[in-house]
Amino acid sequence: MKSPISFAVAAAFSISALAQDKPAAAPPPSWQQGKPAALAESTLHPFAPHLTGRPSKDLPLDKLKVPAGFKVEVWAEGIPEARSLALGDKGTVFVSNRNASSVYAVIDKGGKREVKTVLKGLDSPNGVAFSKGTLYVAERGRITRYDGIENQLDKPSEGKVVIDNLDPSRQPGHFWKFLAMGPDGKLYFNIGAPGNIVMPNYMQASINRVDPAKGVLENVALGVRNSVGMDWNPKTKELWFTNHARDWLGDDSPNDTLHRVSKPGANFGYPFCHQGDILDPEYGKNRSCAEFSKPALKLGAHIAPLGMRFYTGKMFPAEYQNNIFIAMHGSWNRTTKQGYNVMRVVVDEKGNAKMQPFLTGFLTDEKADPPMWGRPVDVLVMKDGALLVSDDYNGILYRVSRAK
Amino acid sequence: MILARINAAAAAAAFLFLAGAAEAADPNLCAACHGDAGNSTNPAVPSIAQQPAQFISTSLFMFREGNRKDPQMSPMAANLSNAEMNELAKFFAEQKAAPPKHKSSAASVQAGPELTKKFNCTQCHGAKLLGQQHIPRIAGQQFEYLKVQLRGFKAGTRADIDGNMTSAAEPLTEKDIEALTDYLAGLSAQ
Repeated sequence: MKSPISFAVAAAFSISALAQDKPAAAPPPSWQQGKPAALAESTLHPFAPHLTGRPSKDLPLDKLKVPAGFKVEVWAEGIPEARSLALGDKGTVFVSNRNASSVYAVIDKGGKREVKTVLKGLDSPNGVAFSKGTLYVAERGRITRYDGIENQLDKPSEGKVVIDNLDPSRQPGHFWKFLAMGPDGKLYFNIGAPGNIVMPNYMQASINRVDPAKGVLENVALGVRNSVGMDWNPKTKELWFTNHARDWLGDDSPNDTLHRVSKPGANFGYPFCHQGDILDPEYGKNRSCAEFSKPALKLGAHIAPLGMRFYTGKMFPAEYQNNIFIAMHGSWNRTTKQGYNVMRVVVDEKGNAKMQPFLTGFLTDEKADPPMWGRPVDVLVMKDGALLVSDDYNGILYRVSRAK
Repeated sequence: MILARINAAAAAAAFLFLAGAAEAADPNLCAACHGDAGNSTNPAVPSIAQQPAQFISTSLFMFREGNRKDPQMSPMAANLSNAEMNELAKFFAEQKAAPPKHKSSAASVQAGPELTKKFNCTQCHGAKLLGQQHIPRIAGQQFEYLKVQLRGFKAGTRADIDGNMTSAAEPLTEKDIEALTDYLAGLSAQ
């Protein structure tokens, strides 16, 4: 008969042997984080860009549609992973990316566009902003300035650091930054959440600003999962921004959103409340959406709104003045895909916003993988009033103008 | 034996010289290391036959831009244009993968299917591990090459377009890496 002690030892040994054979399951990639067990078999996945670009002649450009009286054409191509856009004083279009390490410049030379690599060796340089002769670049962990860059595109001088240590933990998830120059002369940028649905640390899931002369971080908005587009209402000077809601709560919920910052430091809900009125199944327990700012507009689930600008050009009809154009880069986290358009948002005097399609046709098969042949990332109002649209999937810039 | 090595070195030198010259996008130049039609016979060199085109062009881009570094591949990619990378990608994507020479151990064959599920391999590389879009085919890939990549991802030293592989490799033990790669290297790609 075995003694109780030796039996216990044998049991402990066999349990530890079993534990070695069956290690704990791997932590999922950040985009899969928060995926419920019921969706474990889901094959939904984000789409990666063609980093070497695809020639426009191989693409179904004839599928692109704009409203009557407008036309769309390819303005420049061969710009690896064309993401955010910034317009120089002399007309140079600066183009960023998030997976590569360069910043590109597009120069219009008598109707032909020349693409130059102007900055190299950067760390996910997704944010670009231009102001008073200076190009500012937001990398993963810092913002740098390149003074007088349009006079030295072939050999820009070394960048000067505006602010550093923005990503001390080398966070997973949303580490790339959007950058914009505010009417107050301060640089605005996002620090995204480090995963799909996680508790952010003291500086994450926020929009911040920095005075380039001081280099001190100031918080502008909290509870923002990831904003990769922002601009200021030309009349009220209030900041508006787009925000990506969490994934894996189903095809139709929650909505991605458009927001207005009516008071600095407002909290927009992440990770507790989504789209202003849905409590998160985990973090929202015992909370109320009433404590958070509401969105100005729900944009649709998973459509991934990126760049947004108020239209201030003179080319489009008068009713487009101060409308908002929003580039939709998704959806991927949806069994039937939607989005992949540039939308026009009209905000009335009472602040009511409504949305309609402006540039469509990238989405060709809502059930296919991939479902689209191009993905809008940013929009930029050119000096002549035309609208540029970047497409990181193909490395192309499109120009939407009034048809003559 | 020694003579053969010298000849091989001379051939490699001549090949590098040619690569630097006119036809940078000639797929035959890739064959010197990656094997006929991109089917490698060297366990340390990856097969590029029947890889998704977007994976090949992405890899070449990463080598040219310096995100990935390799003493052989970095100089090969340095002078390729985006268009040439797209051409090479298309060519090798259309080549058929040869049956693998690697013979997996019985233990790996048994454990493999569960491991590739548990460690999320099939989630992105597909049920048959043939890759898709920018994600490579790992079924029938070379054994030593796979090991080096997984160790690199785990150490955070291998460039990773979206962080997925770094996350996926993080919990792997050296024993897991051995078992996974031994299994994958012996899988048919057809």
